[in-house]
Amino acid sequence: MNCRECTEHLYEFLDKELTPEVEREIRVHLEDCPPCGEHFDFERLFLDFLQARCRARGAPPELKRRILRELFDE
Amino acid sequence: MSAATPPAPAPGPVDEKRASFEREALVHLDSLYRVALRLTGNAADADDLVQETMLKAYRAWEQYEKGTNAKGWLLTILRNAFINEYRRRTRHPETVDLDAIEPYSVFGDVQDDDPQGTFFDSIVDDEVLRAIDQLPEQFRETVVLSDVEGLSYEEIARILEVPVGTVKSRLFRARRLLQRKLYDYAVGMGYIKASPA
Repeated sequence: MNCRECTEHLYEFLDKELTPEVEREIRVHLEDCPPCGEHFDFERLFLDFLQARCRARGAPPELKRRILRELFDE
Repeated sequence: MSAATPPAPAPGPVDEKRASFEREALVHLDSLYRVALRLTGNAADADDLVQETMLKAYRAWEQYEKGTNAKGWLLTILRNAFINEYRRRTRHPETVDLDAIEPYSVFGDVQDDDPQGTFFDSIVDDEVLRAIDQLPEQFRETVVLSDVEGLSYEEIARILEVPVGTVKSRLFRARRLLQRKLYDYAVGMGYIKASPA
């Protein structure tokens, strides 16, 4: 697998959406190709960053109370 | 043991329905709210949309096959409710040609100075959410379902009623676009030097 093919599968690789065979081919390429390795690491950091920043907040407690009241007449 | 203690009443069908709904549906309230907030763009509509979703889900609870993917089922109800009742008055679907967006990675700009992307650490939650809110709707919903809620391509495809290949290409473009927005913001704020053109 060359750099271009590897990069085409970048997000599928990070999202664990590839077949084991393709995933293995990419791992082999990444071990031999530091620039691709760095690029993949960067994208992984970006996705981790996104999730951490966006999952911090959940539903307000008042909304939960409102829904419970509405559903179960509490 | 006192003989005066009355035995607990056996749970009736309503109690069981409520218990299973709490166990399998209400536990996803935070996820529903986060998605609703990104779809509607404001807290009041997000509250209403989530409440309506939970009411619809509770009414249709018999149709949900217990123990399967409750989160996906709820998100499908939420998105349909959004399209039918909210989108018209909150946001409007964009008319931009999404395929014309040519995404390129920010990595090329930062690989010499900051290959580990440490500049991301300077960007606060609100700024990231704002950047997501500025994405075209089709990109926004895909990114939120994937990167915020961690759904698989297959699950996202089912909720959005598009092929898996479409999820893949939207996700690719959406992430690159988002990366670019956040990079430009970081440059503007002086968190990172702009790479020489």
